[in-house]
Amino acid sequence: MRNRDAAYWLFLTPVLAALILVVIVPLIYGFYYSFTNWNGLGTPDFIGLKNYMDLFTDKGFLDTFWFTIKFSVAAIVVINIIGLSLALIVTSKIKSSNILRTVFFMPNLIGGLILGFIWQFIFIKVFGAIGDLTGIEAFNGWLSTTDTGFWGLIILTSWQMAGYIMIIYIAYLQAVPEDLIEAAKIDGANSFQRFRHITFPLVAPAFTVSLFLTLSHSFKIYDQNLSLTNGAPYNSTEMVAMNIVKSAFTENDMAYAQAKAVIFFVIVAVVSLTQVYINKKREVEL
Amino acid sequence: MKRKKWYGGIFSVLLIFSVILAGCSSSTGGNSDSKDKVTLDIFQFKVEFKSQFETLAKQYEKENPDVKIKVSTVGGGNDYKSAITAKFASGEEPAVFNIGGPVDVEQYKDRLTDLKDTKAAAAALDGTLDGVEEDGQVLGLPFNQEGYGLIYNKRIFKEAGINPDEITNYEALEAAVKKMDSQKDKLKIDAVFAYPVKEKWVTGNHLSNVFLSPEFDGNVLEASKAPTVKFTDGDKFKQMVDIQNEYSVQPTASLDYSQQVEELFSLEKVAIIQQGNWVYNTVYDMDPELAEKGIGIIPIPNGDSAGMPVGVPNYWAVNKKSDEKVQEEAKKFLDWMYTSEEGKKAVLEDFKFIPAYEGYDVEKIADPISKEIYKYSQEGNTIGWVFNGYPVGWNDDLGASVQKYVTGKLTWEEFVQQNIENWEKIHSK
Repeated sequence: MRNRDAAYWLFLTPVLAALILVVIVPLIYGFYYSFTNWNGLGTPDFIGLKNYMDLFTDKGFLDTFWFTIKFSVAAIVVINIIGLSLALIVTSKIKSSNILRTVFFMPNLIGGLILGFIWQFIFIKVFGAIGDLTGIEAFNGWLSTTDTGFWGLIILTSWQMAGYIMIIYIAYLQAVPEDLIEAAKIDGANSFQRFRHITFPLVAPAFTVSLFLTLSHSFKIYDQNLSLTNGAPYNSTEMVAMNIVKSAFTENDMAYAQAKAVIFFVIVAVVSLTQVYINKKREVEL
Repeated sequence: MKRKKWYGGIFSVLLIFSVILAGCSSSTGGNSDSKDKVTLDIFQFKVEFKSQFETLAKQYEKENPDVKIKVSTVGGGNDYKSAITAKFASGEEPAVFNIGGPVDVEQYKDRLTDLKDTKAAAAALDGTLDGVEEDGQVLGLPFNQEGYGLIYNKRIFKEAGINPDEITNYEALEAAVKKMDSQKDKLKIDAVFAYPVKEKWVTGNHLSNVFLSPEFDGNVLEASKAPTVKFTDGDKFKQMVDIQNEYSVQPTASLDYSQQVEELFSLEKVAIIQQGNWVYNTVYDMDPELAEKGIGIIPIPNGDSAGMPVGVPNYWAVNKKSDEKVQEEAKKFLDWMYTSEEGKKAVLEDFKFIPAYEGYDVEKIADPISKEIYKYSQEGNTIGWVFNGYPVGWNDDLGASVQKYVTGKLTWEEFVQQNIENWEKIHSK
């Protein structure tokens, strides 16, 4: 790191330039626009904090925020439990572990939009057919109520992301030294105790990473939301990202949307940085 | 030494920047280069006729060697809106683009050329320019006309013993629906209707228009200026939502357009859908025979009366900010498309449009639904489209509250109250 010669800069410049151009500059611009009444065309007039004032009385926006928070909490828990379980399965001594890894990771390779439409088909058609055959009412009418839409989104996201999170856990699980486990075995710890007192603390860094990834990912979901429910019924399954896009492009309220985006950015940043900080403190060094 | 390296760093950053920025110089809507070749950038939204339109543009280029036409198409309502906004914001402004009505006129005011002196504007049918006239200027030229109503399956009606011509009021419709509902098994249908409440435009734009249009005398400008809405025909609006919802394939809240048209209607699983002539091609792709011979359209009854809602969904606009020369050529091209013999032929036979201009041979209209709609508009038995004059976003909220109503989260009184308040709120912004 100390050796900053011309080559160092040469390699860094493209990345820096790209970062400044497509992240930093728009971010600063965005902050500025959120204090104006810009509608996407014409010249913006400065109107101070009005957009932010409107935000906190905008019921629609607050509802989507609350929905997003509920969704994120549920998604984080479900994805991490499934991801860790999958990782434990494929790192145990079963025969087909290699093929299983591929299978579990597969959903991650499909784009969010396509996934949304696939699951829409499953929830509406397949579930409907199962409901008709078995007469179990719970299978009918998926995605037509807020609750089923909510769980539909959770199922979709978990299916998509659990495989990815699994990979992270696998990496850490394989780094747990065999001799520690051996020693614990000799001392008479059963498999649960071994997991609880040895494996778990040693894979703590994986939790830091996974929680951060799932948290920021589920907060910012847009395409799955769009293709699965598109906010139906009555915008009750609309998440923040979709709400922002709507105010920007359906209602031509660019500046107001930008103000929403700024608030959203700040909240996601604060929450995820806090989470990383707390997790970091709890990690153990070997 | 250390400092030198810093310079190197800064220098290379600057170098990269200059390279990137050099590639970002903006241009507006075509240009005329030294050989006097004029380029027209056309940015349009109608995916359905993209290839036919490009073919026509090629034909025009052949006849006018000094004009080059670049067509870009971005599909669908909202996608187009966001794409065109982004285009304008980036400085890459097209010479010709599309606007939907008074709301867009308001937004793009300083970009719209007056097209009053074009041949096409002179030939436009009465009322088709309502949405784009301002201070005696004509700011857009209509694409085409569209109409919507209750599209029905002739075979099912016949087997159920129903004469569609007799359905001219709500009672007759209700009787027919109940009759079909009682013979569902015999007719082999899942339900009478397929009602896609999930699609907010079906309820928020189209159905609401039937009952709100009379309030504004069918004039889209009236609607766009109105500070409030009364829902005078609210009870009849309720009737139509109720009957379609009750006798539809369930659950309506998650039923969407493609299920409605492609799956249920094209496979003859339902008898009636509330849609417009734009579904024709989709039905045709699924079942050509059904499309050509087996479907018809009747108006949506508003109590005892029934008129066909016919309107102009979109207009061509010419960008004021582009070169004089480009503007002239753009006008010429639009004139040629709608008033020359070759153009007319393409409009009817390739685009399969219902023309919004005089001087067309009606017999050549491509599909039965469009023919039927054109017949209504010739007889003057129509109601105007006012939904392009609703306050921005109001139709979306209206569609969402219909979803609330059919899932029992709102009573009809609350529904009306909320939407009136919302209209006033958005309008006063």
